[in-house]
Amino acid sequence: MKARRRRARRVTLMLLNLILGLIILLPFFWMVSVSLKPAVEPFAIPARLWPENPTLENYVTAFRPEFRVYFLNSIIVSVSTVVITVTLALLAAYAFTRAQFRVLSVIMTLVIVAQMFPASAIIIPIYKMVKSANLLNTYVSLVLAYVTVTLPVAIWMLRGFMASLPLTLEEAAAIDGAGPLRTFFEIIVPLCRPGIVATAVFVLIVTWQEFLFALSFTSTKDMRTLPVGVNDFIGQYGIRYGELMASSVLISLPVILIFFLLQRQFVAGLTAGAVKG
Amino acid sequence: MTYRDRWLTWLFVAPALLLVSVLMYYPMLGTVVESFYSTSFINPTPKFVGLTAYEKIVGSAEFTRVVWNSFIWTFFVVVLQNVLGFAAALLLNQHLPGQGLMRALVLLPWVLPGVVAAVLWRFMYDPQLGLINSVLMSLGLIDHGIAWLAEPTIAMGSAIIAAVWKGFPFSCVVYLAALQAIDREQIEAAIVDGAGPVRRLLDVILPGMREVIVINFLLTTILTFNYFDMIWVLTRGGPQNATHIFPTKIYELGFGQFRFGEAAVYGVFSILALALMITLYFGVQSNGSRRKSS
Repeated sequence: MKARRRRARRVTLMLLNLILGLIILLPFFWMVSVSLKPAVEPFAIPARLWPENPTLENYVTAFRPEFRVYFLNSIIVSVSTVVITVTLALLAAYAFTRAQFRVLSVIMTLVIVAQMFPASAIIIPIYKMVKSANLLNTYVSLVLAYVTVTLPVAIWMLRGFMASLPLTLEEAAAIDGAGPLRTFFEIIVPLCRPGIVATAVFVLIVTWQEFLFALSFTSTKDMRTLPVGVNDFIGQYGIRYGELMASSVLISLPVILIFFLLQRQFVAGLTAGAVKG
Repeated sequence: MTYRDRWLTWLFVAPALLLVSVLMYYPMLGTVVESFYSTSFINPTPKFVGLTAYEKIVGSAEFTRVVWNSFIWTFFVVVLQNVLGFAAALLLNQHLPGQGLMRALVLLPWVLPGVVAAVLWRFMYDPQLGLINSVLMSLGLIDHGIAWLAEPTIAMGSAIIAAVWKGFPFSCVVYLAALQAIDREQIEAAIVDGAGPVRRLLDVILPGMREVIVINFLLTTILTFNYFDMIWVLTRGGPQNATHIFPTKIYELGFGQFRFGEAAVYGVFSILALALMITLYFGVQSNGSRRKSS
């Protein structure tokens, strides 16, 4: 009796698991399936879930020259942002966790609160600043904006990580005569590696998909990033859904791959801060 | 770092402080100033108009619509995303075959770039070619395609569902981590006392996660209120303003019509709403840490 009930419970849970998996994966499956359909097949009504004659032709057409430019732009902007944000966040997080004086903790609160700001509410003044500095349609404007919006979260993530490092190592280094800079670079930074990986992946995911700033700061095709490019495709290629889905897959692949490679460290680093609050 | 390294401390903090103040706090003041000026496509030089734009906007049907939409959008996305995320976390916390894979897959929608998710859902909602209508039609539930995003009464609901799909994985992963941090002994003690799964959930698990739940609700509220990509790509705020929320309205007024002043008025109101939520967030957080230390 009890065994039967336990088995019934297990079957129910597995069924629920299956439903959850379907909810998550069905849209992905549909995206890939449509991207593999030859140009006329998406128009079959009702739509078929499985591509009858799979082909890569959509990918070939999607990878057109302008798409390659967007891709390169996205890589340049994202990689620069990740490197700069993580470096600056390491410095700030270290100061915030190790030095204790009142002004600093006020500043820390102000910096960390900034992660909750509505980008849309400040977009117009920022746009005007960028315009008057003659930085519209440049990588610099995007990287500056992205570093600023990702820094508060990055500092918050790394601070949680550094706070858990024991002080004894630094004290030992100080006794051995290492200055604060050397202690930071040779002891703290290497110890923070898991936190750095989690933060870098987070910043990459956020930057890779950033839309509002990219949409506002870039107007020329040679400077646009992938999310803005896809948004343009909707209008330009109307209902060429096969191509649209193929470019969607191409855009998503880099972040999904990196996410899966570093998944374990990433989730641990992300939730450590969120659970601790 | 010791006291004598104060200059070093400032050096370490300076870049972050500079960027955040120049590119976030200063523009926030800029938005307030901007809201007192008027510009348009024909008159690009700003002209001081005082509170005229406020008078025009506050009380207009359009403004009421945006406030109402923002409320509906934020409320339903947050509640559904957290409930679904929590339920999924409870499920993934069970010992079942294949659970490791599921835990890795669950974050996929969150990793997917926002614009891509929006394009994908726009296609799924397509009246003729979309997956959703195709499935419903082949099941015989409807006999003609529904225009999920073009029908003013249902467009917001459709956008909310897409946003929940994109957002619930994040809540799920946070809740899963919190579930795993709950003391096993407490749960086992409850089992010994004869508590069924529902009692365990209500009496042990939920009280233990109170703080995480409240903070997660507030954080997702702030993020959802600010969420631009999904609605902009799905509907551009249409049809007939049916899905315009603060971020999309600001963008449309500012960059679509070059009415910077009016966009800034909407900006000021969204800053006020956010300030309220941030105050709440810190109120809850300091409450929590006080409870912990006492």
